[in-house]
Amino acid sequence: MKPQTHRYKEIAREQMADRRARGFLDLLRAVAEKRKSAYEDFPNPDAAREYSRAVRAAAVARLPQLLEQFEKSASRAGAKVYWAADAEDANAYIVRLAKERNISYVIKGKSMVTEESGLNEALAAEGVQPYESDLGEFIIQLLERPPFHIVGPAINIDPQEISDIFIEKGVMSDATTDPVELGYAARCYLREKFHHLEMGITGINMAVAETGTIINVENEGNIRFCKSSPDIQVSIMSLEKVVPTMKEALFVLRTLCRSATGQKLGAYVSMDTGPKKKEEIDGPSELHIVILDNGRSTIYEDAAYREVLQCIRCGACLGNCPIYGKIGGYSYGWAYSGPMGQALTPLLLGLDRTKDLYYSCTLCRTCRDVCPAGLHHPRLLRRHRQKQREKDPVFHGSGLKVREEIGLRGFALAAATPTLWRSAIRAARLAMNRKSHGGIIREVLGKSEGWLASRDLPCVGSPTFNEWFRKNRS
Amino acid sequence: MSNSTRDHILSRLYKAQSTARPFIEPEHCPEPTENIAGELLVDRFKALIEAQGSCFERASGNDGVLKVLADVFNRKGISRAMASTDRFISALDLPGWAKQKGFAITTQKDYEDRTAFKRAVFTEVDAGITGADFGFAESGTLCLMANGDMPRLTSLAPIIHIAVLPSSRLISSYEQMAETVFGETPPSQLILITGPSMTGDIQATPFKGMHGPRELIVILKDD
Repeated sequence: MKPQTHRYKEIAREQMADRRARGFLDLLRAVAEKRKSAYEDFPNPDAAREYSRAVRAAAVARLPQLLEQFEKSASRAGAKVYWAADAEDANAYIVRLAKERNISYVIKGKSMVTEESGLNEALAAEGVQPYESDLGEFIIQLLERPPFHIVGPAINIDPQEISDIFIEKGVMSDATTDPVELGYAARCYLREKFHHLEMGITGINMAVAETGTIINVENEGNIRFCKSSPDIQVSIMSLEKVVPTMKEALFVLRTLCRSATGQKLGAYVSMDTGPKKKEEIDGPSELHIVILDNGRSTIYEDAAYREVLQCIRCGACLGNCPIYGKIGGYSYGWAYSGPMGQALTPLLLGLDRTKDLYYSCTLCRTCRDVCPAGLHHPRLLRRHRQKQREKDPVFHGSGLKVREEIGLRGFALAAATPTLWRSAIRAARLAMNRKSHGGIIREVLGKSEGWLASRDLPCVGSPTFNEWFRKNRS
Repeated sequence: MSNSTRDHILSRLYKAQSTARPFIEPEHCPEPTENIAGELLVDRFKALIEAQGSCFERASGNDGVLKVLADVFNRKGISRAMASTDRFISALDLPGWAKQKGFAITTQKDYEDRTAFKRAVFTEVDAGITGADFGFAESGTLCLMANGDMPRLTSLAPIIHIAVLPSSRLISSYEQMAETVFGETPPSQLILITGPSMTGDIQATPFKGMHGPRELIVILKDD
């Protein structure tokens, strides 16, 4: 998936004018309510969220030990574990496996990490046809679009457009805009492919160190087919998906499902410990687990950024974000959208390529309050801004424009020097208040765009609070 | 080279750990239904099964289960079904029962290999019948463990899934199961089923039977 993060503003403008996207985004509030009420059957919902956060934090703190333990347990159960340094490495391993076994097509369960790694493109380039099988992913694959939402990737798309592409690609022959009939057409089309499937590919929601088990959560059953019908199963995880014990995994399942869709549990949760046993008639006789780094160990080396690895991809932060709620998922320009994307994408793609992601945040903290994994998104985004200004070499900070740098330094100097501040304020009052309208400053140094384009800067007071206080303190 | 990659990744992670921030050890958090037992468990389980759009039946003994099955077969127009051979289902002798009733029921053991079994389960049968190793009242969930007698596809490929759960196997929460199941030899796959296959991916319109069963019928068997 080719990043479009540099087009953030352009896409956001388009999306804000898109009626269909707006209609769906307005519904998000209802889903957020459902999500909240799903927690109410815990004796103490806040304690449940806190526990889930603590599990994720402890897991990330012990990451290398847990990964080693997981590798050992999974291998003992008969799985083959492959460590991939980056996307290319992981893709090459999977492509090689498919070519060696003469596989003509594979089916994939929904997996964000393969969106990140561009696995579909790598397979197709080598003549192995990849089929996405989650309905939403299937639709956006045909339309060649990025996901609109990490849980509902095609939820904004007009049924007419789905009907047209289904006919064009031979999924069905008679036009319909009924969502149920469209879903049924996709079922029939993919069912034949599931039947004869030889290699299934899935992501991993959680990997349990203690037992060597991998866990997938879904509603449709496509992931179960990918793990039941073929003889070869490949499951790929980014390296932070590991949790210490089955008991903790079971608890995080509860918060993951509640925070994702407001369900107590997804329709299907499947947990694999090794490949099928000899006496079993279905299931894979080969289970390959790919552990992908792709920049995570670099993130881990930064003690403050490490927290981003706690994310469990539930999407609760998207549904509650006032910015996401206006602009939708396309604007974020890559696999990960909303606050979790704003936190993670700059670390994977570089701060220089993703500037709009971490500046387009009001730091309102709603994301942090609903996060069941303990991410403090605003703190991470502020750190991105800091690292960008400091030209951080590890995460490719490119520094500020000379004008911004001078402005900020000037501000810092004035703010730290009371006499300078007072005279600066007097000068600013004279200069800026003249360009005001209705108590709001419309222009600074002859410019009305940039910072002022989306913010209201009130006029400088006369007297300022400082002046008033000096006069009245006695 | 995966081995050197592995060592490289792990050594970076271990080295970075020295800069770890302190964290709080997770303490026990009570599960949603920790203190429920007996008929309260059944009530909650039934309510949640029905809320998902699944069908809940209760039967007494094997004869009761067969009676419910006959009724379901007639109501849904099922003539061919695939049954698992786990202990709860094999006790019913479904192939023999079906012959008497004029239905056809096969099991995975009637097929010589995966290909033949897959053909039958994907294209020939109207329903899959399996036992369930556990039921969880906290979310209205069934738990199936894949093994030689419990194929994965029997509960997945047919459009209707009928599951028989002995009431003694109905427990409140997942953790009670995990302690016994994930010991020395965990199953190759453990499946939790909470309602029929579903999606809301087009316009958030619910659609049951997206890839797996459109209907889930749970028969709770009292002994």
